Amino acid sequence: MSTSEAAARPPDNAGKKILMIMTTGPEEPDKTYAPFYTAALMAAMEIDTTMYFLMHAPELLVKGRAETLPLKKGGNLKMFIDMAQENGVKFFACSESCRDLCEIPEGGLRDGVKMVGSATLADLALEADSVISF
Amino acid sequence: MTIENGCELPDDLYYFVERSQMTWIRVDGGEVRIGLTDPAQTRAGKILHVRVKAPGTQRERGKPIATVESGKWAGPVIAPLTGEVVESNTAVEQDPGLLNTDPYGKGWIVRMRMANPAEVAELLHGPAALARFREILTRDNIRCLRCQG
Repeated sequence: MSTSEAAARPPDNAGKKILMIMTTGPEEPDKTYAPFYTAALMAAMEIDTTMYFLMHAPELLVKGRAETLPLKKGGNLKMFIDMAQENGVKFFACSESCRDLCEIPEGGLRDGVKMVGSATLADLALEADSVISF
Repeated sequence: MTIENGCELPDDLYYFVERSQMTWIRVDGGEVRIGLTDPAQTRAGKILHVRVKAPGTQRERGKPIATVESGKWAGPVIAPLTGEVVESNTAVEQDPGLLNTDPYGKGWIVRMRMANPAEVAELLHGPAALARFREILTRDNIRCLRCQG
């Protein structure tokens, strides 16, 4: 590879860590797919990608819920959530939000979501190279 | 050349078909050229962005060699073989639509030097490849179109 080609090439960010904090829930479906799409892409770039869901965002992860959220661009949210998980994005849901705000019964979230407390959010944010909030 | 559901599947190529992956591999001595198949580009839709690993990158089988974005799909192109990227196709980074319009030609993605040529035996070829594609094309209702412009 020539020096000029190397200079023009975008950096390879494989191995870095990104935390995405998701607060938007089913009340605004068109604001929900881009975070999953972006997270899926980041994971494909070998960036260690985690999404943390709080406030009403955990409702997106309730079994069967994403299929009911049509998107203006066509399709529904499920394909974007599936894509993020298939690419290796890790999902954490705030247990307080799930219980007190969203009233999600135990076992109500899709597979692959870990319920955690707010202390975990602090750990994830401090360990990440960058934090993005939606 | 075999055509199934309008999808072109050249008979001389090897194929890697696992999970979301449907890539072709052209073996040339100790090197391979890799790209997306016609069914893969059809399923992805109009491809908007491509990033390819730089020459010199060492890849284990199963690790990404590129990322592809189409607006409805974002994901990796997985290395079907272990080796070193010796050339990345900068033309597809500048014109990602080549993956849609010429997937087996100008739309190739990387050239790799194989570390273990015995891995070629693990790829699909000939009737076995065709049978696998038939299954996926039927299951996912894929009918190939060449996206122009």
